[in-house]
Amino acid sequence: MSEKFELSGEQTHQEGQINQDELILQQQRQIQQEISESTPLVGELESISSLNAEYSSDEVYLQKIKDLASKYKFVRRTRPDGNCFFRGFSYGYIEKLLSNKDEFKTFYTLAENSKSSLVELGFPQFTVEDFYDTFMEVLKRISDMPTLEESKRELHQLFNEQGYSDYMVVYLRLLTSGQLQREKDFYSCFIEGDRTVIDFCHQEVEPMYKESDHIHIMAACSAMNTGVRVVYMDRGNNKQVTEHDLPEGSTPYVHLLYRPGHYDILYPN
Amino acid sequence: MSTPARRRLMRDFKRLQEDPPTGVSGAPTDNNIMIWNAVIFGPHDTPFEDGTFKLTIEFTEEYPNKPPTVRFVSHMFHPNVYADGGICLDILQNRWSPTYDVSAILTSIQSLLSDPNPNSPANSMAAQLYKENRREYEKRVKACVEQSFID
Repeated sequence: MSEKFELSGEQTHQEGQINQDELILQQQRQIQQEISESTPLVGELESISSLNAEYSSDEVYLQKIKDLASKYKFVRRTRPDGNCFFRGFSYGYIEKLLSNKDEFKTFYTLAENSKSSLVELGFPQFTVEDFYDTFMEVLKRISDMPTLEESKRELHQLFNEQGYSDYMVVYLRLLTSGQLQREKDFYSCFIEGDRTVIDFCHQEVEPMYKESDHIHIMAACSAMNTGVRVVYMDRGNNKQVTEHDLPEGSTPYVHLLYRPGHYDILYPN
Repeated sequence: MSTPARRRLMRDFKRLQEDPPTGVSGAPTDNNIMIWNAVIFGPHDTPFEDGTFKLTIEFTEEYPNKPPTVRFVSHMFHPNVYADGGICLDILQNRWSPTYDVSAILTSIQSLLSDPNPNSPANSMAAQLYKENRREYEKRVKACVEQSFID
């Protein structure tokens, strides 16, 4: 142990004690900037066949896109910045709720009560409030629009304004973290390594740009009291896309397309 | 123009004034809310006691979704502080959470002074002395404390 330590100490000396953390962060910032310049946070509706362009000579994918097109009408792309599940899920969920006033109202009440339950779990009130206020402001602005069409336009606009859009993502991340902590006995079985649920939340759920896995999706659905169908499309040998409903057995309310590392929103036929 | 980052920094500043944590202080510079000056007082019962250590905090428009860059301006001798004053602290890198505010950042750095993590060294000499020759470590830290009065 001590030998190993001396070795790494030596190395640091040779590199003149360069602040590696900042170099890494700088590179990450650069990559993220390139992505953000080329893709909107949430895109317009596109036909399923628009996916073909990405796989012009890839038979496996082209076959699966055909299968996807038999079940879904449109895809709405999200920016691949590590927040795509949270952004896509919240956009898709709110968009769907807009067409049913009662369901929207139920969700609005759930959202209104969510802050105090986070504070009870030990989240700092001062900062949680900041995200909560924006989350509620967005819900209110969208639902105050006189027509469904205008509500949807407002939703689309707010989700493409970085400030609002990211705050929506943060708040949903916090709600997801809260759900994981509230049911930590259950979720601890899904966490690899010897990390506690709280460690996991601090490392993988609350920080922005951290990608989502099954466990995030299950907890997010639970927190929002809904279900998601994730449609997997990868280079696997089967000819069809695979569907997973989360939580298992739930009625899917939002449909998401998953390609390794990324989620987009789907609209069923 | 008011952006989410600027609005939030005003809130952070207000909270820091109304409910200041012991041993730390901070405020935006005169003409730029995105750059703050801060002071951390060396925690009691540590070799840093009595020191007044100055830092700068630089925020981007992505705050609080991304952490600010925090740097000691005062010369430091600490296992987790780089020669340029940069700080190796998980919550300022991969464990950043948007629920942290300036007050939480400063108190975390303050507790890093009390509890260095010599297994993730930014200053390998300080880390080695901390582990193997505590007396020499404390002597070098005390020199920083004295230096901090002059800075």
